[in-house]
Amino acid sequence: MFTPGSKFFIGLTGLALISAVMYTIFVNPSDIGAYALFGLLLSGGLVSGFSFFTRDGDSDTEAEAVEAAAYSPSPSFWPLVFALGIAVVLLGVATHPIVFVLGIAVLVGGGVEWTIQSWAERASADSEFNSFVRHRAIGALDYPGLAAAGLGVIAYLFSRIMLAASKGGAAVIFMIVAAIIVAYAFMIATKPALRGKSVAMVVTAGALLLAVAGVATAITGERSELAKYAKEDFYSKEHRECGEEEGEHYDHEANNTVSLRSAVLATVFVEDGKVWAEMIGLKQKLDTITVPRSNATNILFRNLDEEDYRLVVNLGTETVAETGVKEKVGTCTQLTGKNQEQVLTLNIPKPSSDEQQYSFVVPGAEGEIKVVVP
Amino acid sequence: MSHTDSVLTKEKAVDTVTPVKSSRRRIITALAGLSGVAFLSGCATNAPQDTFQPSGPNAQMIDDLNMIVFPIAGVVGVIVLALAGYIFLKFRDRGQAIPAQSHGKPIVEITLTVIPALILTVVGVFTFRTIFDLAETEDTELIINVTGQQWWWEYDYPVQSGIEQPIISSGQLVIPVGAKVLLRETSRDVIHSYWIPALNGKKDAVPGRIHLLRLEADKPGIYAGQCTEFCGLSHANMRMEAVALSKEDFAKWVQGQQKAYTAPAAGTLAAEGETTFINQCSRCHQVNGIKDANGKPIISAPDENVYSGAAPNLSHLMSRNTFAGAMFDLVTEECRADVWEAKPEEFGAKYLKGVSEDCLNQRDLRAWLRNAPAMKPMYADPTNLEKSGGKYRGMPNLGLTEDDIDKLVAYLVTLK
Repeated sequence: MFTPGSKFFIGLTGLALISAVMYTIFVNPSDIGAYALFGLLLSGGLVSGFSFFTRDGDSDTEAEAVEAAAYSPSPSFWPLVFALGIAVVLLGVATHPIVFVLGIAVLVGGGVEWTIQSWAERASADSEFNSFVRHRAIGALDYPGLAAAGLGVIAYLFSRIMLAASKGGAAVIFMIVAAIIVAYAFMIATKPALRGKSVAMVVTAGALLLAVAGVATAITGERSELAKYAKEDFYSKEHRECGEEEGEHYDHEANNTVSLRSAVLATVFVEDGKVWAEMIGLKQKLDTITVPRSNATNILFRNLDEEDYRLVVNLGTETVAETGVKEKVGTCTQLTGKNQEQVLTLNIPKPSSDEQQYSFVVPGAEGEIKVVVP
Repeated sequence: MSHTDSVLTKEKAVDTVTPVKSSRRRIITALAGLSGVAFLSGCATNAPQDTFQPSGPNAQMIDDLNMIVFPIAGVVGVIVLALAGYIFLKFRDRGQAIPAQSHGKPIVEITLTVIPALILTVVGVFTFRTIFDLAETEDTELIINVTGQQWWWEYDYPVQSGIEQPIISSGQLVIPVGAKVLLRETSRDVIHSYWIPALNGKKDAVPGRIHLLRLEADKPGIYAGQCTEFCGLSHANMRMEAVALSKEDFAKWVQGQQKAYTAPAAGTLAAEGETTFINQCSRCHQVNGIKDANGKPIISAPDENVYSGAAPNLSHLMSRNTFAGAMFDLVTEECRADVWEAKPEEFGAKYLKGVSEDCLNQRDLRAWLRNAPAMKPMYADPTNLEKSGGKYRGMPNLGLTEDDIDKLVAYLVTLK
């Protein structure tokens, strides 16, 4: 027969089922509400099943009551963690894969700890021995696991703060935080009186501050220019402009910090509206450069002029297999401001010839650099 | 103890000790023999890759540094080894009591710290000066792009003063005597290392990077080298030669390399060889100026067949003395000796003659065309091509017939 408890949970499950179906049909089948109702359906079904089979935990006979009372598990927070894991997993299904993975981690961690604790409590009649076997089974993983999780949370929250602060502000915050940590570590290392409760208080206060600032900045979002560039997607091929035009999709913040400086074959300059090239190792103004065949080659473009320019490489023509139409082949850098530079990486598989000629040009500037591929 | 007992005891002792003495003696004899061989190998005169025979200012700088560092290191080494040996023998365990332990002697410790620091400072000053001198590139007179790939070196001479059209070659690097030549090294596949011991130290050729190496030769001649970064199956066969010509001869060589292609006369064996070359070889090897029967230029496509994306350009092949990554000579032993041993003033003329039909090393060239992987280990086995996406590393066996080989040799010898 149905017990009072199981009736309540069966009713809840039925209500969740109806609500979930209605919500899915009439509201939205894939938003968080649907997942929450289906989650309620699952958990309600699970609990009502438990309640039904255990008859609300009531015992029919005296023997059953004695047997049930013989073992009493000690209080544990792992079931709570396990339940939290289920909730986070469901939340992750509805929101973001990272939340889902986090939920799985909490679920597995809580489940393993709960299982080991439950197993260890029944290992013997000696509670001290049981505690020993529990620690032996999983104690070695507790602190590294917690430390890794803690560091991950700290890194994530701190990164939110750094991404939300301005470029200069982020550097200042980083320096101040690092200086405070070093100074405090030095103080507690040299003054034993500061250890103990005061350290715990300071660390707790720091953690709270980090948590509040991290959550707040995560909600605020990344600083405006980062959000803007991510939205513009100016690195996309679809936004490539290889002419004189100045469209909205280009890197306005380009500077002269190209990191491939030691691996460039040649540098193309534009100065006073004229284009010229210089090969690494030879201080001569050139109008022809040689690029090795079938090899990734970096060409640096340096703009010494007032105007914004871009470097364009013409790599001859190519016949499109499907249509038979000859199309120009080439690529370019983004617009580059005064004293700024950008790099082009080329890999040209075919040699240059009278029929297939290659060159560098700078739209709007005078001159052309012939590219010879032997 | 009786006399008999004494004799027996002695015999037993001899029986027990002899094998130990014998094996120790054998080890000492073997070590002495090895040391002797190593010592005597330093007396070899025919050692083209001897680092102690510099033939240019860069190699001379390294040699000068060695002359400072090696004696210092040698003296320090002898002192340390002698002291260590003395301590091992003097204080070896003979069952004596452990001597009184002390913290140490500050004077001795300070002295033993200061002396090595002073020695290292002296060595460091000379070493840094040499490193910076070797890295000098401001006064470069000629630049050459050097590209390593499994298992040969490509040289291309960009357009610059004295070179109106780019030149591409392989196997032998040709430079003018007395000119400050700057090699710009890179690689198409894995890391290689360029080393002509007589002209400078080693420099790695790394994919995606340009590394600079200065070469300068004092006198005309051929200087041998070897890839010194393990780069795969045929690393040991990845050789190179630097040919130094007088400035006048170098100008002639440049002129020869820029000569337009001349097709063999119709109806000759060489003309048939040209057809075979177009059908079999031009998929990977470029000969500048070669055209098909319709007059259309033939453009090779090594990028579709070879992992590195390149194969040696065979234009003017017979102006070189070597082939297959300088592993084999294109000339016979007698003709090779004639060039290698030529006096500096005669060297240029002999080298610029190139490979005549009489001097052609037909044996190795034919064997190479017959089955290249049998001559130089290369990945010609299809099961080894999975990692390179079905592309070869090195030249495969083309399955040419003897007739094809006759025609190809007749054609190749015209490529001067």
